[in-house]
Amino acid sequence: MKECLLCEGVLSNKPSWQGFIGFEKQQVICEKCSNSFERTDIESKTAIIVSTTSLYAYNDAMKNYLQQFKFLQDIALAAVFQQELYDVLKGKSNIVPIPVHPNRRVTRTFSQVEALLDYAKIPYKDLLEKRDEVSMGEKTRQERLAMKPLFELKSSVQIQPESYLLVDDIYTTGTTLHSAAKVLLAAGAKRVEAVTLIRA
Amino acid sequence: MVRTLDGTVQSFLDGRLWHREHTPFSMQEIKREIDAGNIRTMQGVVTQRGRFGRVIYRCNRCLNENEARYTHFDCAKCGGNCTYCRSCLKMGRVSSCTELLYWTGPPVQFSQKHVNHWQGTLTDLQKRASEALIASNEKGRSHLIFAVCGAGKTEILFEPIHRLLLEGKRICVAAPRVDVILELAPRFQQAFPKTRVTALYGGVKPTLEPAQLILATTHQLYRFHEAFDVVFVDEADAFPYTADETLQKAVQKAAKKDAPIHFVTATPAKKMIREAIQNDALSMIPRRFHGYPLPVPTYVALWRYEQQIIRGKLPVKLHQWIERQVTEGMPFLLFFHNIELMEMTLPLIQKIDPRIKSVHAQDEQRKDKVLALRNKQTPGLLTTTILERGITIPKVQVAVLGAEQAIFNKSALIQIGGRVGRSKDAPNGDFILFHHGITHAMDDAKKEILLLNQKGGFR
Repeated sequence: MKECLLCEGVLSNKPSWQGFIGFEKQQVICEKCSNSFERTDIESKTAIIVSTTSLYAYNDAMKNYLQQFKFLQDIALAAVFQQELYDVLKGKSNIVPIPVHPNRRVTRTFSQVEALLDYAKIPYKDLLEKRDEVSMGEKTRQERLAMKPLFELKSSVQIQPESYLLVDDIYTTGTTLHSAAKVLLAAGAKRVEAVTLIRA
Repeated sequence: MVRTLDGTVQSFLDGRLWHREHTPFSMQEIKREIDAGNIRTMQGVVTQRGRFGRVIYRCNRCLNENEARYTHFDCAKCGGNCTYCRSCLKMGRVSSCTELLYWTGPPVQFSQKHVNHWQGTLTDLQKRASEALIASNEKGRSHLIFAVCGAGKTEILFEPIHRLLLEGKRICVAAPRVDVILELAPRFQQAFPKTRVTALYGGVKPTLEPAQLILATTHQLYRFHEAFDVVFVDEADAFPYTADETLQKAVQKAAKKDAPIHFVTATPAKKMIREAIQNDALSMIPRRFHGYPLPVPTYVALWRYEQQIIRGKLPVKLHQWIERQVTEGMPFLLFFHNIELMEMTLPLIQKIDPRIKSVHAQDEQRKDKVLALRNKQTPGLLTTTILERGITIPKVQVAVLGAEQAIFNKSALIQIGGRVGRSKDAPNGDFILFHHGITHAMDDAKKEILLLNQKGGFR
């Protein structure tokens, strides 16, 4: 008996021909939980990032989701948006996840953006390294805006004069993405786009 | 004899089973105690071999063995393939590379100075049950108290618990529902004013003091390990305790080896009664403490009530019943089998009185709303089965909408009826089953109530 990853309710799986021949999409959450997320597909443009697409609004359901995923370390929840992320990112090249600090990766036991991409079966390039251990959420807006570069290129990484696509879990003030984009552009990237799961 | 140990690692950890990374102490303090041999560690998730060499995972905190509740992943901390348990995730994730701590140093010496401050008197039946329980404690055997709703179960426990406290024993009263714990905690603290009584439930911060008398939801017992000399499980038939095997194992794990585990319930399973009779450890109380019979359910047919409500129409008989409660100023509870139907019905019922509210398990204002009913600020509540047991509201009138639904099994209906007529000045009240067809569960509940009334000396 399969349970919804979020509410632990029983997932109704009516037998179907698609399921029988293995074509049916794997359900991991129930319809009710699925409907509690608010799809917005907001797109914004700045001078540095040509286009940022955010798939969902930061509503209560999403807050709880992120809390359980990141702070209760429930990596299984990376599966919840696997299909949606796959649909947006399939076929794209030069996908670069926003990294967490190596120390935080160890305490959390995983990097949330990499986990989202792994579950969505999207290949990515691990090009950036976080310099500061404090997370964005722990800083005030002033502190965020007045910070030194958050990221640096990993050693022995070569940036091609191509388009790069940054991926992050949540877009709040945009500081994180812009900081990462500047690093890529300075190293020779032609243009930078971004996709985030959530827009706060 | 009594050492003050408050705030030390020993007083916190003795009897507990705790995630190494989530203790209230520094890593150095924990390490020092491990090196001194006072704390041992246990791997969080372990594997066993089942039939045909099948790998079975087991979480050492919650004892979950359901494969679907485990997730395997590439762990950045232990650098390998790691497995974590999703069953008790909300208590802080436990994985293969998590260490659980338990105390093996000198045990905490608990106080032997206690007073039983409860001033009431027990009925003969209550007194007999209380004495039988004391005898069972002396013999170290598990006892079953089968007492009807409103028999005064809690009062039966006071003297047996007092005797155990005087011996410096550590005791746990566990119940599956947080509402029950919240109601019991102040009553126990009043009865034992010199005893440290601690209530544990989801979301409460653990205290550092070594509590001698713990009231806990059965879930919280995941966090204990051979801690208690005696465990009482109240409302042992309630969801989720009966449905979730890990909770039953958790009670065993939290009790010391060979410690008696007593059950107190109004609706025991047949197997439980049989075992208790075999061990000569059954006390039965078929009579309410005030000496009046249990309310017998009245069936009221409400055909196609669901379709009527979907169409925005409140069934006439239901409308009349609620209107009568409101005009007579009687507090009422109306039980539903699911939240959706309840939320659909609420606006229709609020036309009678807009102060009527609804509650369900995830409702953050649940405590306040029940309090409002008690204080007569709200005339009545629509509720899911969460309020089926443990609560006492004077003069409350009760009805079930959709009594034919599967969730209203025999014991649920008996419990719901048990909310009615609990006080001496108002021993009667409505217990209405609005239904779309009579089920076996309804008939079984009615039969059992009549049988218990007969055993209690009524005809």
